[in-house]
Formats: sequence, C-alpha cells, structure tokens
Amino acid sequence: MGFAFDHAPERPANIDTILNGLDRYNPETTSIFQEYVAQQCETQTYDCYANLALLKLYQFNPHLTRDETTTNILVKSLTVFPSPDFNLGLSLLPPHLLAQTKATSATGPPASGTLAEAIQHLTKLHTLLVNSNFASFWQTLDSDDLYADLVADVQGFEELMRVRIAVVVSQCMQEVQRSVLDGWLNVKGEKFERFVKEVCGWRVEGETVRVPENKENSAQGTVVRETVKFEQFGRMVKRAYEQPA
Amino acid sequence: MSVRQAPTHQQGAPERTMEDDSDVEEEALANDYRQQVDYDGEDYGLDRQMSLGGGPQDLHAQLVAAAQPLEYQATLETKIASYDSYCNLFHFILNSEGPVDIEVPSHYWAWDVIDEFIYQFNSFCSYRQRMALQQSTTTVNEDEVNILKDNPNVWGCYSVLNVLYSLIQRSQISEQLAAKKRGEDGALYAGDYGSRTLYQMLGYFSIIGLLRVHCLLGDFSLALKTLDDIELNKKAMFARVMAANFTTYYYVGFSYMMMHRYADALRMFNHILIYVSRTKNFQKNAQYDSISKKNDQMLALVAICVSFSPTRLDDTIHTALREKYGEQLTRMQRGGPESLPLFEEMFRQACPRFISPTPPDFENPQVNIDPVEHQLSIFMEEVKNNMWSPIVRSYLKLYTTMDLTKLAGFLEVDADELRSRLLVNKQRSRQVRYSEGGLLEGDVVNSSDLDYAMQGDIIHVSEAKVGRKLVDWYLRNLARTY
Repeated sequence: MGFAFDHAPERPANIDTILNGLDRYNPETTSIFQEYVAQQCETQTYDCYANLALLKLYQFNPHLTRDETTTNILVKSLTVFPSPDFNLGLSLLPPHLLAQTKATSATGPPASGTLAEAIQHLTKLHTLLVNSNFASFWQTLDSDDLYADLVADVQGFEELMRVRIAVVVSQCMQEVQRSVLDGWLNVKGEKFERFVKEVCGWRVEGETVRVPENKENSAQGTVVRETVKFEQFGRMVKRAYEQPA
Repeated sequence: MSVRQAPTHQQGAPERTMEDDSDVEEEALANDYRQQVDYDGEDYGLDRQMSLGGGPQDLHAQLVAAAQPLEYQATLETKIASYDSYCNLFHFILNSEGPVDIEVPSHYWAWDVIDEFIYQFNSFCSYRQRMALQQSTTTVNEDEVNILKDNPNVWGCYSVLNVLYSLIQRSQISEQLAAKKRGEDGALYAGDYGSRTLYQMLGYFSIIGLLRVHCLLGDFSLALKTLDDIELNKKAMFARVMAANFTTYYYVGFSYMMMHRYADALRMFNHILIYVSRTKNFQKNAQYDSISKKNDQMLALVAICVSFSPTRLDDTIHTALREKYGEQLTRMQRGGPESLPLFEEMFRQACPRFISPTPPDFENPQVNIDPVEHQLSIFMEEVKNNMWSPIVRSYLKLYTTMDLTKLAGFLEVDADELRSRLLVNKQRSRQVRYSEGGLLEGDVVNSSDLDYAMQGDIIHVSEAKVGRKLVDWYLRNLARTY
C-alpha cells in the first residue's frame, strides 16, 4: 500500500475542493486555510499539502501573512520528522527571513519577537531532531520561553514528539539501555514505564528495554535478484520476426 | 480573426478582459489579480504599438516571433514589449469568439511558444531581482530601475499562471488525458477547443509549463502534483519533442530531490540521460547544443543523489559521470565537512534559476535575497544532516557485529553521538519510493544495501547482496550479433 503526499485522511471536502481548483490561489481562502491549521493543531491531525497551499498564498500575498499560523505550520511539521515537510515549508517562505536567521556578526541575531527569530529557533529544533540528538532537543525546548510559546498552540506537542522518537528507535533498536531511552524520551520513573509499556508495547527488563522485532529492526541479509520482464525482450522478439534467419 | 481588436484591451493584459469570461474559476483568478494589483491603466510611455500590426502576415510574423528567443542583448523595453505581445497573442487565442483557426509555423510551435514564454518570465524575474539587490552596492541604471518600479505587473506571476491555467482549461486537456488513462476516447471530452490540435497541444505543454513554474517558485510537491494526468513514459506526447522530454524529466527529478526522494530522482535522471546518450548521434544540431548544457547539470544532480543514496548506476551514466565530475563525486561520497563546499558548488551549477513570485522591494535593497541562495541554504541543511552517513557506512560494511564503544573509538566520537548518527543513517536509508499511481505516491522502502540493528551496545550488520544483473548484458550482446 503506497501513500500519497497530497493525501490526508481527515481532510474536509471543502478544503479538498479548494486544493484541487484554482481557488487555492484566491486570497479569500486564506482564512479558511488558517482555520484549518488551527483545527489541525487542536485535533492532533496533520495535512501537509493543505498547509503548503496556505504558505503559497502567503508567498504570493505577503501582506496577508500571519506569523502565528506560519510558525504553527512549521511546528506541526516537526511532529512528522524526518519527513521533508519542514524543509518544503521553508522553501515557500520569503528568502530574506531565512537569510536573517543565518545572522552573521555584522547584522546580529534577528530582533526578538520577529518571525525570523521564531524560524531561527524552530530550525534549531529541526536540526537537532533530524540529527537524532533527542536529549539536546528536549533540553533546548526547555531552555527558552520562546519555545514554549511557539509550541503552545499545538495540542499534545510533547506527546507527539515522544511517539515519533519512539518510532525512530523501534526502527533501529532491538534492545536499548533504559538510561539512554529515558533521556531521548524525556520521561522518567513511573511515567517512563507507563509510556514504554502502554504506548509503545515494549518490555522493560531491569536496565534494558526490549523492542519487539519488526520489519525494520531485524537486520537480515537478503539477496536481491534481478526481475526480468518479458517486455524487455520485446525488441528482440520483434526483430526475430522481421529478419527470419 | 485579426489581432486588431486587441488594442482596445492591450493595456490591461488579458487578465482584465477575462472578467467577462463565463468561466467561474477564471473569474476568480482575474478578481484576485485585480485585488492584488491596483492597476491604473496608464500607458507607460513606451512604444507599445510595435508588437502589433495589421493583417494576417503580421499575425504570422507574431506567431513566429513568439516562439523565437529574444536576443541576448535585448533591452528592457524589448522585454516588456515582448510580454505585451504574449499577452495579446494569448488573449487572442483564448478569448476570441470561439476557437481560432491559425496556421502555426511549425509542428511543435506550441512547445516552443510555452517554453520561450516561461524562459522569458524566468529571466525577467531574475534580472529584476538582481537589479533590486545591486542597487545597494553598485550603481545601476537608474532609468531601468524606475521603469521596473513603475511596472510591477509586467511578467507578473499571477498573469503567467493565469495564462497557463487558462490554456489548460480551455483545451480541457486534463479531462482528455484522464479519459485516456481510463481507456476511453479522449476526444469525447475535448469540447470545441480541445478537439483542435492547436489548443490540445498548447494545453498539454502548459501542464509541463506549470510543472516548471511551480518548481521555480519552490513549491515542489505541487509541481509533481501537476503531472497527475500525464503518464511518464516513452509514448507520452512530450517525449516526441526532445526539449520537452528533457525539461520534464529535469524538473520532475529536481522536485523529487528536494522532497528527499533520491531514488526516484535518480530514476528520472537515469531515464533521460540514457535516452540522450542513445539518440545523440541523430541530434547533431542546434537543439543538441542547448541540451548538452542541461545534460551536464543533470549529471551533477545525479552525483548529488548518488552521494545521498548510493546505488548502482547504469554503465553509460557512470562513465559519463566519472569523466565529467569524477573528482567531485569521490569527495562527495566520502562525506564529512570537507564535502560541503562541493555539494554547494554542484547545487549552484545544476539548480534551476529560482524566482520569487512578488516584485522585489526597491526601497529596501538588502531584503531582496536571491531565491537561489534561499533554496541553497535549505538544501545545505539537509546535506549537513547527512554528512556523517558515508563514514559510518564505510565502517559498518567491514563488520557483521560490532561494539558501539569500539566503533565510537574508531570514529573519535562519544557513544551518544554515534548512536545518533546510526539512527540518522537508518532513517535516511528509508525512503519513499514510487511504485504506481501519481508521482507523489510511493512506499517507504529500504534503499540501502546495508542494514543494521542495535541490541544494546552491539550493532548487528547485514548486507543485501545484489545478484549479478545479466539481462541487460545479454540483450546488448544479442543485439550486436544480429
């Protein structure tokens, strides 16, 4: 079963119509998309394709840009790392914003309270996540009130991140030390055990956590064989008819 | 059927006159456009009559001109005039009473005209952006800056998109292609306009044009979505025009690359590069020259993708790649911080000239960052996240089981850092890959020949061995012998 990038199971019909028609360029639909983003934040659903359409509307009509919605979209895309969604979002932002975040000593860091500053912070989180520096990710998240403000709108952000990290771990690990894992998940003690057992379905045995075997973490050697299709021989067969030997 | 009727509208560009069109969606677009741009309908003091003449010969001349590249040294006035004549031409084609019957100068005129239209749009936007940015550092031609400031809507993004979408809708090409896909006769869905070859082809190549424009604007997922109705195979109409074939695969491949689907990107580049290498003996003409530059660009993209996701390449491409970028490829595949400048150099060389959809801000020159730099910096973040993977992989290849702390010692990093790198590499080896359906669809598969799992601090490594591939060799030799 494949999945399509533009597919979102919970997308309402009216959003779907806009996305497939020319109304996706109509600045009047901005408010509809904005509400949809707010709804995604509340209900823990996610629709990247629709969110990119909103960023595109902002790209075409900079005066309509709402900073809060932009950052919410980016925060939402963090919850699905390591997918390219965060980067695809950045691609649609105005170039000067990103340039400001790469502040050199000459220009100084972006002014506080600006969108550039928010994006700089989110990019930092994103980098930590895609580099699998989960422990530093949680530390960074706690280090500055701005982070708390940025993720405040996204319901259950920490829980979503924990689940996402657990998925990454389950792809790679059969056994992992408890001390390592609780740093990555940023939960300790009883809460840790509850999360690992109930949400992930893993077993805690003393100081190790066992992850049940799955397709990704079994690491079995395989031999890839060539698949030969009859069509590949089509030309040859044809030629055999053309020039009877 | 004269374009003479156009002068009454000409100052407004087609968007304004499209309001009286019954098509609701077009009207919406036109409305947006009007809101967006507070157009005052003034003449810009330029001679705008030059592109318009009377009589059918002029129409013919105009059709020919529309498909011809502008001179390299074309002045700003010429560029603006060229925009106006495109507007008039498309207005004439789209908004005359009923479909127009014109004799086009060549068989693939439709491709040439769309191609040139987008090319001029692209270079105009880049040029305008550059002028705005350079204002702050160097002295630029004041007159030109003023002309650009006064005409924010010339080569506007909305108008270009409007033309492309209108051509697609008029020709009902999407409906026709969808019907063909279902195995029905496309002609049933063609309508008055779409049943004519001219409209059909303009509509068809406008889809390819949209792919290109979306990609230039940095909207890679929408770019791929645009091609939903077109099947990428040798029988597709675009494959009959070499330049169109080439352009399509370049932009599709590039969009895949920016969506981190390197295996799919490679598949696209592979396909077209092999095609070019097989047909280049028949194409010794001017067309081929323009292709050869793009060919090198695509090889650079192949080098980037192959460094990200090591795979076995086709022999012809591998040889070409070694010849052209051998040194760079080796260093990129080695990874680490030393490889970063090479990735940057290759990306710069091979990326399309990205543009920004809104006119630059002439009052604040420093904010007009080149969109190419913008996309480059996003891309480089991705490269940085990946740069340790080749090194980790090269060590893992040597072992079947390995202790984490020991490997950390080899790599001179601490255990935590190595754990992270192993997780990163594992995630990178899982890629979405196309199997069937629309271009945006795909399954997550393991794209690497190396796989591993960690049991506490023990790393178990396994390798996928690739059996010998014989069919290709067999067929090639068979073809040679008879």
